Amino acid sequence: MPIGGYLKKLLRRRAAAPDDAAALRLEFKERYHHFKLLLGANCKALEVMSDIEETLRGERLFGMTFVRAACTSVCVSVFSMVRGLERLAPGKYTALFERFDAIQKDIEEILARPLPPRDPRLVIPLAELNRELTDAAGGKMANLGEIRNRLGLRVPPGFAITTAAAERFFAHRELQTEIDRRLQAAETGRLDALYALSAEIQQMIIRAEIPPEVEEAILQAYAALEAECGHGVKVALRSSALGEDTGENSFAGQYRSELNVGRDTLLTAYREVLASKYGLPAITYRLQRGFRDEDIAMGVGCLAMVPAVAGGVVYSRNPVDPHDARVFINAVWGLPKAVVDGSTACDLFVLSRDDPPELLAAEVREKERKYLCYPEEGVCRLEVSGPERLQPALTREQAVALARVALALERHYGTPQDIEWATDEAGEIVILQCRPLTAKEPPTEAAAPAALEEESLLCRGGVTASPGAGAGPVFVAERAADLLSFPQGAVLVVRQALPRWASLLGRAAAVVAEEGGFAGHLASVAREFGVPALFGLPGAVERLRAAGEVTVDATGRRVVAGRREALLAAQAPRRPLMQGSPVHRLLEEAARRIVPLNLLDPDALEFAPEHCRTLHDITRFIHEKAVLEMFRFGQDHHFSERSSKQLYVEVPMQWWILNLDDGFTEEVEGRYVRLGQIACRPMLAFWRGFTAIPWEGPPAVDGRGMLSVLFQATTNRSLNLGVRSKFAERNYFMIARSFCCLNQRLGFHFATLEALVSERTAENYLSFQFKGGAADFERRMARVHLVAEILEDLGFGVEIREDHLVARIEARPEPDLLKRIEVLGYLALHTRQMDMVMANPTQVEHYRRKYRADIEQLLARGSA
Amino acid sequence: MGDVRVLFVDDEPDFLDTLLKRMQKRRIAAFGAQSGEEALAWLSSNPADVVVLDVRMGGMDGISALRAIKTAHPLVEVILLTGHANLELARDCLAAGAFDYLMKPVNLDELLYKIEDAFQKKALQEKKIRSLEEAIGTRT
Repeated sequence: MPIGGYLKKLLRRRAAAPDDAAALRLEFKERYHHFKLLLGANCKALEVMSDIEETLRGERLFGMTFVRAACTSVCVSVFSMVRGLERLAPGKYTALFERFDAIQKDIEEILARPLPPRDPRLVIPLAELNRELTDAAGGKMANLGEIRNRLGLRVPPGFAITTAAAERFFAHRELQTEIDRRLQAAETGRLDALYALSAEIQQMIIRAEIPPEVEEAILQAYAALEAECGHGVKVALRSSALGEDTGENSFAGQYRSELNVGRDTLLTAYREVLASKYGLPAITYRLQRGFRDEDIAMGVGCLAMVPAVAGGVVYSRNPVDPHDARVFINAVWGLPKAVVDGSTACDLFVLSRDDPPELLAAEVREKERKYLCYPEEGVCRLEVSGPERLQPALTREQAVALARVALALERHYGTPQDIEWATDEAGEIVILQCRPLTAKEPPTEAAAPAALEEESLLCRGGVTASPGAGAGPVFVAERAADLLSFPQGAVLVVRQALPRWASLLGRAAAVVAEEGGFAGHLASVAREFGVPALFGLPGAVERLRAAGEVTVDATGRRVVAGRREALLAAQAPRRPLMQGSPVHRLLEEAARRIVPLNLLDPDALEFAPEHCRTLHDITRFIHEKAVLEMFRFGQDHHFSERSSKQLYVEVPMQWWILNLDDGFTEEVEGRYVRLGQIACRPMLAFWRGFTAIPWEGPPAVDGRGMLSVLFQATTNRSLNLGVRSKFAERNYFMIARSFCCLNQRLGFHFATLEALVSERTAENYLSFQFKGGAADFERRMARVHLVAEILEDLGFGVEIREDHLVARIEARPEPDLLKRIEVLGYLALHTRQMDMVMANPTQVEHYRRKYRADIEQLLARGSA
Repeated sequence: MGDVRVLFVDDEPDFLDTLLKRMQKRRIAAFGAQSGEEALAWLSSNPADVVVLDVRMGGMDGISALRAIKTAHPLVEVILLTGHANLELARDCLAAGAFDYLMKPVNLDELLYKIEDAFQKKALQEKKIRSLEEAIGTRT
């Protein structure tokens, strides 16, 4: 070998050592990066899980969009963790992939439950419809068919365009997929965003093509109707959605009806009715009541127009007071529209349930407006003039006949009914629709109206449209644009009780309207949502406009200034709207595969991939193993920069430090690392707290306490150091600049602290676990509860299982979290062996006070 | 965030435009493509570190685009950003090597952090390959 080659080779070999070190350093860096990603995914997964839990528990509104997004997000995070652990320990935990797949499959199945098969016809004539065909025709049309064919009542001639037809329409050219995509991307919490989205989707639907076979079926059915009613017959197109009008849920007034439609506009009108499924009221209603989009299949009724002389609504019982069994009829001139949209005063007839019903009371009001439908102009709003204005819209005979119909329908269906009717030119009654009445149980205590000073009374009188009382700042809504700025918890004040305001009811504390009665759509939605509503208060808008906060006592029919707890207290709490809804049930079921934690004890035999039953189990397992793998890697590679070092503060401490990445300010040679060389901000914060206030020494232990300690020491296997790995024996920190993981065994208990604290506020978290102790169970419990109390005061979410405490706080800015770490440092020192004295209440109180005082002092100091 | 180069792929021009503007405001070298095909063509002649990809697009769909990108440019990290919450698809994307699967609407900071993490992953991987090459180089 020539001399030059030898030298070269020698030089290369000498250079190889630093290269290896560099490679190892890089390897560490990469592992730490994966570890950090894994921790981030863990944090995200836990966040979504607690979001799911809170959503299930509370009254927060959510829809399928939330369910799908939450499930997808949690699966993505958990899968990232599985993948991350595979990077840290290749081939070691591959069983996790199978467990994850199995759980995800379950969740997918739950989310994708198929709908049961339905009648495949695209249109069904009214003569063939009945209750059993609700799935195909929607509730409204199935009911009309039922009462026509089984009770022999008069209904307008017509046919149903089925839910199957609507499904074809939405499936055509992937319309539904596009709608879902836009909905998923929207921020459903923001009303203005939702408003724009709703308009956009409705435009898409109105422009979409109707599948040819559906178009043909509709036109054929219309031709058959023309054969029955005459050429060019005008029809009304009304929504007959599946899921609407099912008793507990009245989708009152959310969908469009198109009146006076001829052959030429039939298909456009059909699309417009379908589009109203995505109208703002309908979208918000589904969100608020927990219906999935796909739970609402849109059937549409096509009914010949009735030339209505008078119209209105009849209730087979008092809709606001279920104890009042009398029949209530609202009547106006012309179409019932004026009653339904609350835009004019209407006559009221009250009848007994006798056979024949007896007219008990008639209140004839001045009817200013009416709606009529003319073949050419369509539906027109007219001023009522002349004597008609003050004449009753119904004769006594008609009122009695209507009450009979209402009672017959109640008997047939077995529940109180809400029936829309009209009288034709011959004076005959025609039923336009019927549905179960949403009555509300009044507050149980019929509390005597609390005495009030007169000056606080703002309005008195009106009609209880929905009983109860609510308080909040007044918000006067006059234009549609006001929908967007309505604040949560305000009192809605409007001139007319129009259906358009219904989308605000999920956020309103109460509703006040100058016009309108209990028969309108807004009133029935208010009753359903349990929102107190007081209608028919002339001048309310001006009187309340500048009133600030008011209390609306709808039951007592008054509005008073300020917030009156006495009035509010008498009210039953609102029922959680989502409970029992299809979406709630679905999320509950999916959550069973996500949220429960079964793997608790890392030392147990069951702490293994095959025992992971939920996604939470998987995250728990992976987290534990990832920390272990990170630590082990540092130990296995005897590489001076990265092996653990003993902390040296004046003297060597029993604390070992493992630098994961950038945890030291400089390269540290030898066995020891000094405090000044530590760059890890959370660790330094912990140290500040740990050393802030000197320990008073072990608390005085009574004889029983000491015995108990000795007893535990011989039986508690986790105290038997021989069987524990080095990992668990002593206090060690794994650190990087913004991360620290502390495992601490002080005295007889152990604690772990994990913190990621940087300028990425959303990713910041701090978790603290605390377990064990040497005293008997009761004393350990007492200590755990004391620590929990302190941490909860600091904003931690705390969970306790037996003597195991888990506390977590997340997404707070760096300085806030560093302060909390200081407190944990303080607690780590000062609660040591606390359980010895925990049986003594005076001492417990002494320590509680001392801790609080110390912590206050700690928090008051500026960050070092 | 160093000199990260990001390609955003989305078939909604409005969304893409807004995103690019906001990214450029944050001094990110951000580029846009309106389809998977366009993205691949762009990548064949321009370097990129991270691709942010919509899942559902006209033409080549997101997952095919993801696979094609990972095949042609294995070091490029791909983040899916989508309005489509679908478990199976999300899992397939991750299994096909996606860095993450995010759902719209996404917080801009959160997206930036993801891009930063993906970029760091790529940088580490490149360093590792370089040092391996050097190690092999020195021993032969």
